Amino acid sequence: MGRGTPTKPKRRRSLIRFGACCIASSFLTWLSGCLPAQGVYAGADTLTIGAYSVVRDALREKILPGFAAHWKAKTGRRVRFEESYNASGAQSRAIASGFDADVAILSLEGDVERLVKAGLVEPNWKDGPHQGLVTRSLVVIGVRPGNPLKLQGWEDLERPGIGVLYPDPKTSGGAKWNINAIYGSAMLEDREHPNLQAGFERLAKVQANVLNMDSSGRQSMATFERGTGDAVVTYENELLLQQKRKGVATPYVIPDSTLQIEGPVAIVESSVRQHGNREVAEAFLDYLRQDEAQRIFAEYGFRALDSRLDPPDRMPLPQKLFTIAELGGWKEINQKVYGPGGLWDALFTGKKGGKP
Amino acid sequence: MSNRTSRGPLPIDLFLRGSALSYLTLMVVVPLTALSIEALKPGWDPFWQALTDPFAWHALKLTFATAFIMVLINAVMGTATAWVLVRCEFPGKGIMNALIDVPFAVPTVVTGLMLVALYGPSSVLGSFLGRHGWAVIYQQPGIVLALLFVSYPFVIRSVQPVLLEIDPAEEEAAATLGAGTFTTFRRVTFPALWPSILTGTALSFSRALGEFGSVIMVAGNRPLQTKTGPMYIFGEIESGNPHGAMVVSVVLLAFSLGILIVLNLLQRQGRHIHGH
Repeated sequence: MGRGTPTKPKRRRSLIRFGACCIASSFLTWLSGCLPAQGVYAGADTLTIGAYSVVRDALREKILPGFAAHWKAKTGRRVRFEESYNASGAQSRAIASGFDADVAILSLEGDVERLVKAGLVEPNWKDGPHQGLVTRSLVVIGVRPGNPLKLQGWEDLERPGIGVLYPDPKTSGGAKWNINAIYGSAMLEDREHPNLQAGFERLAKVQANVLNMDSSGRQSMATFERGTGDAVVTYENELLLQQKRKGVATPYVIPDSTLQIEGPVAIVESSVRQHGNREVAEAFLDYLRQDEAQRIFAEYGFRALDSRLDPPDRMPLPQKLFTIAELGGWKEINQKVYGPGGLWDALFTGKKGGKP
Repeated sequence: MSNRTSRGPLPIDLFLRGSALSYLTLMVVVPLTALSIEALKPGWDPFWQALTDPFAWHALKLTFATAFIMVLINAVMGTATAWVLVRCEFPGKGIMNALIDVPFAVPTVVTGLMLVALYGPSSVLGSFLGRHGWAVIYQQPGIVLALLFVSYPFVIRSVQPVLLEIDPAEEEAAATLGAGTFTTFRRVTFPALWPSILTGTALSFSRALGEFGSVIMVAGNRPLQTKTGPMYIFGEIESGNPHGAMVVSVVLLAFSLGILIVLNLLQRQGRHIHGH
């Protein structure tokens, strides 16, 4: 311990101190994990939410505090949230394989249907108000500043030489919205007589202009922001949320005829049964569809289910807005368009209608 | 070593052998066997069907074609680079030698990003090439480019040590006997080098068959155009067709394994020919 060799003992002492700190802090964490049960959250209701990433800001910053206040006013009880945010497909798979979320907020009906198939969500989840929907948005075309190529609608993306981006529907469930909007716009030109062939031809021309198919919508946007391409097919709420976060945004056009994006929400029966919190879960779902929550969703870039709640500066809804139901519903689309030998495969193989 | 075997293996040898084998089994053999069993479980017909699916078949063909082109370039350029590193003296050689392994240290996604930034349609170089019909990124040449980068060190690093061992005197003798540089290389140097060139190319080839991170950034991922095997596998897993994914994986794996086995045999042969 002489003056000549101060480093070794010092190092050892600091190591000991570090170890002590570790033990103390882990002990404290353990303690604090116990505290809420007896402290501020005594008798609180707990609600576990499994949501897709895009709604995170809206939920965290406004909707969850809003619901907590609402619940307090209504019942005098506190509510504590456990939140998880992930890509919609991944979140759905996580819940299906055991993550005990009480409420699932996802971006695709198919991701809820996976939970139905796993026996976690009631098959009649769409019977409630708004057919199980909680958010809406639009498929739009992101363009370069000033829209130098004067892109206005889907037919403009057919023009030779236009570089188009959207993700691969094989890896991005969300890409299906984009692709459905493109073929749907041509297919439903005459609403009375849907023409799938016309839709196929438009999609083939647009697909021929596609430069790169990223694995997710986010990556597609990133590719566009890095300077690739003239147009990116994306969701209006993505672009508006980005504007809210960063202050700058990709300019976009809403085609005259485009698809309404519908985000579902469902109660996970097995979880609420296990947690005994059905009352608060149902109240939360109800709150999500009330004006207050709908205004918040709209503020974060979505379209409110009732368009009167949208901010006044929002562009008007397009004239010929169509829905998944008008295209035949997800079940039929997944089979006829994205299934084996479907429309999507036929775009590349040229062999149309491999399966009836 | 030889006198030890004559006495029979020591217990420590047996122990080491056992651990090495179990480790290999646990880390490599078991997962690969499980994969193969899963792929073949539904039977041969579904296997064949999944393999000849036009999208799977094209993805495999593209993977092999791009890997093959990459390997040809790497064999020539890698050998030349190793030659320069061993036989030439110049300032900055140490740095050059150190730089060679950098591609192994770069995360492959970063490789992809870097190539897009450099050759992508929005870059100066990329837009120039694109205007002249030589688009690289989001086209098949981009795949070859990414593969070249990620497998860059293999040939160099396997040729370099062999080259170091070759006595330059043999080459000088050939030169004094009137052989030109090319003849000297062909008749004297190459016969000693080819096993190591082969090792390097085979390793690059195997590496390229499975390359995903960089390729997905630069390829464009368009079915029947620029979607490679690993990208096809990823897409099929994500879209709920694990069997299709496993069949393509098994084919890629089988080829990698086959290449490495053939390589081992060839090397053994090469050693017999050149062994003293």
